[in-house]
Amino acid sequence: MISFLTSFSPAFILIFAGILAGFMPSYPGRKVLMIGAPAAALVLLNVMFLSASGTDGYLGGYLSVAGIELTTIRIDQLSMIWGNIFAFVGIINGIFALHEKCKITDTSALIYTGAGIGAVFAGDLITLFIFWELLALSSVFIVWRGGKEAYPAGMRYLAMHILSGVLLLSGAVIYGRATGSYEFNHIGMDAPGGKLMLLAMGIKAGFPFLHNWIQDAYPKSSVTGTVILSVFTTKLAIYALARGYAGTELLIYIGGIMAVFPVFFAVLENDLRKVLSYSLNNQLGFMVAGIGIGSSLALNGVAAHVVVDILFKGLLFMSMGAVLHRVGTTKASELGGLFRSMPYTTLFCIIGAGSISAFPLMGGFISKSMIIAAMFEEGHLIVFLMLLFASAGVLEHSGIKVPYFAFFAHDSGKRVKEAPWNMLAAMGIAAFFCIYLALPIPGAGMYSLYAMLPYEMTGDAAFLPYTGDHVVFQMQLLMAAMLAFTVLKKIGLYPPERRAQILDSDWIYRRLGLSLLIWADAMWTRLGTHIKLVVRRVLSFAAKRLYYVFSPAGALSQDAPSGLAAVLTAFMLAASLLIVYFLR
Amino acid sequence: MAKKPSPAKPHADIHPAAVPFLWLANKKVVKNFIYVPLIGLIVFSLLGLVFPLYHPAKWDFFMSYSVIGFVSYSFVVLAAWPLFKLLSRPENYYGEGGDD
Repeated sequence: MISFLTSFSPAFILIFAGILAGFMPSYPGRKVLMIGAPAAALVLLNVMFLSASGTDGYLGGYLSVAGIELTTIRIDQLSMIWGNIFAFVGIINGIFALHEKCKITDTSALIYTGAGIGAVFAGDLITLFIFWELLALSSVFIVWRGGKEAYPAGMRYLAMHILSGVLLLSGAVIYGRATGSYEFNHIGMDAPGGKLMLLAMGIKAGFPFLHNWIQDAYPKSSVTGTVILSVFTTKLAIYALARGYAGTELLIYIGGIMAVFPVFFAVLENDLRKVLSYSLNNQLGFMVAGIGIGSSLALNGVAAHVVVDILFKGLLFMSMGAVLHRVGTTKASELGGLFRSMPYTTLFCIIGAGSISAFPLMGGFISKSMIIAAMFEEGHLIVFLMLLFASAGVLEHSGIKVPYFAFFAHDSGKRVKEAPWNMLAAMGIAAFFCIYLALPIPGAGMYSLYAMLPYEMTGDAAFLPYTGDHVVFQMQLLMAAMLAFTVLKKIGLYPPERRAQILDSDWIYRRLGLSLLIWADAMWTRLGTHIKLVVRRVLSFAAKRLYYVFSPAGALSQDAPSGLAAVLTAFMLAASLLIVYFLR
Repeated sequence: MAKKPSPAKPHADIHPAAVPFLWLANKKVVKNFIYVPLIGLIVFSLLGLVFPLYHPAKWDFFMSYSVIGFVSYSFVVLAAWPLFKLLSRPENYYGEGGDD
């Protein structure tokens, strides 16, 4: 029985459940699938892991498609941590979405979660590509659930992800033909097709200038949609980079830039879900930089940060989802004072904010410190400083701005109901783990997180976050940033929240590119008209000339003098004779 | 005899769990909140003398992270003023409506 169950990827449970949900008219039945299917996948993948324990890894779930053997299961320490957190968060998402009676969201969410897990367990590049594309196709419906205004954003989202898929496939084919293997292991920049695949992963990971789909699509999705979307796509890209490009130095600098630039945009944004989307980008920067370092401490930091980031970022998105659900907006300029109506949501949001800001005894404190420490150890001091700067920036946008403007600040006078029980339950679970995974309890807490990490965390490799100097200096950073906030607020230098569209690099294709296309279209139309006119004139002229020659009233119909005819005939006869003479 | 209208409950529109925390919105509390991070900063900066960094960088001193935190945060926030002028456009700039 166990050998049968372990012969196919846990992803198929979710994908099958998603298809089933699409045909299921019963709302409670779909909700059972929403929670039950990720739970079943979580159990199954751990059964697989346990049955493969003692080995370096387990490969299986072979399928033959068009002469290529696909490996749909690859169980090892790296894939397990992603698989576990994906399946676990699938359950939390299911709980958060319990109140929503939308067949499309349920179906898409299940397939999307399945595609994420399938891609993580892909043993070869073609399987990765298949799930990579399924991820894009299933998630775009979740974006579109945001309503009419989400449609164009969804189209742009789809275009970017299809492009990413095409690049991945192109790179994979070049790589496969050159090396004779499609196995998905370390690839590196210099491998054939390596740069194309890096670019494909860069799109999904939100590299600078390729990041706009995140801030464009995520905030426009539905209350539950944004929460679901925030988990899988970007973290899968981080997994793919960790698997294929660990130690690629370029990623250190890309990660550094990714951590810094969203901070400036997040301060400007008024929509708090958009602020969180920039914050998501900023946290991905820490992960990408860690992958670039490639040391065991850095990669452990990346894996740990993926786990806690999914939890605290999910928690923050859930709290804003609850606000949107109850108030109808997440514009900071229209919120404020909501702690009076939504105290539990406020508490959960503060836990998420504290966690992302890396306060001691909260998730981010452990994982982010590992990446920053690894950066310092490897001597990348400029990027190290950039990450410190970004840490202060994180406190601004996610640590202070989101909870402050939504739940405190001036009282907007909005009195609403607390979030539904299922939302509170989902937020409660995420909040619990944000704290639990940071507690220094022997055999539990952060050590249970350590136990999941891809590299050993004992002996010399042990990372001890709760040393006096680390706690003190981290608190210095956070307290100083909080003091800066209060001082700037007091002297009126903290910018007010204003409704506006903030331009980002997507202006290049949304405005400039579109304008160029419209201009090119207009020019083409004018050119076409002009060409038509010229052709018409030329044809008309030619027709006139022909008419003058061949028409009944034309030159050839007129009587010619016989003398001229005789000369012409003689000339033609002479020419014919000469031709015949020389050709013979 | 007409019933006397029951007196309006104080905080009727406030969630019961939030009532004990209404002091958070008290003007005095808000005004004096600045002392929380200020005292925290002083305490942790002094603790920096007791627990110096185990692996200091060239530029580190006992309150270096305080300086980094304060300067970084202030820079980010102050940069928002010119950036807003430069990058902000009307909400419907792209003609697709708002985000909500």
